[in-house]
Amino acid sequence: MTQENVPLKRYLTDQLLNSNQVLVAVLGICSALGVTNRLKVAVTMGLSVTFVTGFSSFFVSLLRKITPDSVRMITQLAIISLFVIVIDQFLQAYFLDISKVMSVFVGLIITNCIVMGRAEGMAKNVPPLPAFFDGIGAGLGYALVLCIIGFIRELFGFGEIFGMRVIPLSWYASPQNPDGYQNFGLMVMAPAAFFIIGILIAVVNAYKARQKK
Amino acid sequence: MQESRRSYTDTQTIVFTVILSFICAFILSALASALSVPKEEAKELDRSRQMLQSAQIYNSLGYFQIEKNDTYIPAKLVPDGQLVEGTKDDHPSSQDILTVYRNRIVPILVDDAGNVTSFEKAKINYIDYLRNNKKQGYANLPLKLAYKILPNVPEKEINEDLLPIGYIIPVSGFGLWDAIYGYLAIAPDGDTVIGVAWYDQKETPGLGANIAEQDWQSQFPGKKILQADSSGITDFLKSSIGLTVVRGKVADVVGREPKALSSLDGMAGATLTGNGVTKAYKDSLTPYRNFFKKLHDQNKK
Repeated sequence: MTQENVPLKRYLTDQLLNSNQVLVAVLGICSALGVTNRLKVAVTMGLSVTFVTGFSSFFVSLLRKITPDSVRMITQLAIISLFVIVIDQFLQAYFLDISKVMSVFVGLIITNCIVMGRAEGMAKNVPPLPAFFDGIGAGLGYALVLCIIGFIRELFGFGEIFGMRVIPLSWYASPQNPDGYQNFGLMVMAPAAFFIIGILIAVVNAYKARQKK
Repeated sequence: MQESRRSYTDTQTIVFTVILSFICAFILSALASALSVPKEEAKELDRSRQMLQSAQIYNSLGYFQIEKNDTYIPAKLVPDGQLVEGTKDDHPSSQDILTVYRNRIVPILVDDAGNVTSFEKAKINYIDYLRNNKKQGYANLPLKLAYKILPNVPEKEINEDLLPIGYIIPVSGFGLWDAIYGYLAIAPDGDTVIGVAWYDQKETPGLGANIAEQDWQSQFPGKKILQADSSGITDFLKSSIGLTVVRGKVADVVGREPKALSSLDGMAGATLTGNGVTKAYKDSLTPYRNFFKKLHDQNKK
């Protein structure tokens, strides 16, 4: 796994698309269900996870040669928690509105499989800089998927994008116009994200299968 | 494949963990103390904003508003501390919001008989009072918390005798997941709702959390906190107090009965949050019954 001659950029793009953590490794699903019914929250969550994976990978890698093997996981967890708490405190101080909506999900980044997966799967084997790019790439890949899901859910669930009305109110069903448009109620609920993720995975797999031919 | 690692003795491993823990703990405590002031400020600003929002002095879209010809129009703050007509693009700074909050919203204490006293007269420190009683709620204390909303006048004209244009009652209860905290602003007749806010809640995002959204809260103004009986008569001594969140739409469930004025549309997928909200209003408002009656009687004269 020591990829000495791989250019730094590859670490980033590889995680972003080819081995996207959500769509290919199917990690980080829980929070992808929880925080994607509004795009604004999805973007904040994506950026928070990117920050955490990037920096925790960097420091896990930095300490990789002096970390005793028997406490390896706990060391990674300590580093990850550190950055999650940093993000949580920062959001509470400067973005209270968003922090209120994300509630428990910020704290749960600690248990997000992506972060630990990158620390264990990549960061402990490579130098800090590639590890950092790998982490950032994994985070951005996660953010990308979150944004796609968030976009679809907010558009069909609320008729809005970033809290701005997109589907005009005049299209909506009312007592005068009972056949009008209605918000897709399922999109507001967490299971909708399951369906969307499933479809996205199918699309990615189909695309990859075609490329191989 | 694996890079070679040094092997460690148990002592070295323990030393490593201890050092790591100390470094992490040090960073976190440094961060916590560095951010404690902005965090407290953010919370206070949010609370003030929510309270102004329930009093319809601030709009959730981010501007002040004043009442003109029975509707609310955008407003801005001028240096003498008064709000004057403005546009929707006049977004006030945090400092402006706190200034307006301090000028217009004054905490008061209400006893069981409905008599009003000030914090100064009761010799109670407002901040300590808030901190000590938040958990159990303010409604069941001998001296209950309320706020009076002062009219929109220049800062130097503000004094003790100014007649309030409304009152704000803190409301608390339990939603689906955790405690919920909010405000309810009522007109000086002790019955009509001016507006509401929920400033601290952990309900399901997109479902129960809609109680904190303007869309849902916009049905509150004009509602009555005392439920009239079927002939439409409100008795301040006996009528039950509260606002009921129904399952579905008020028009379908209650119809045109007088009770509809004290009922609210439910939120699909958030029945339990709705029940919690109903109970919160009932429990938090009932102890103020004599206060509402006093307001009502004074207002009639």
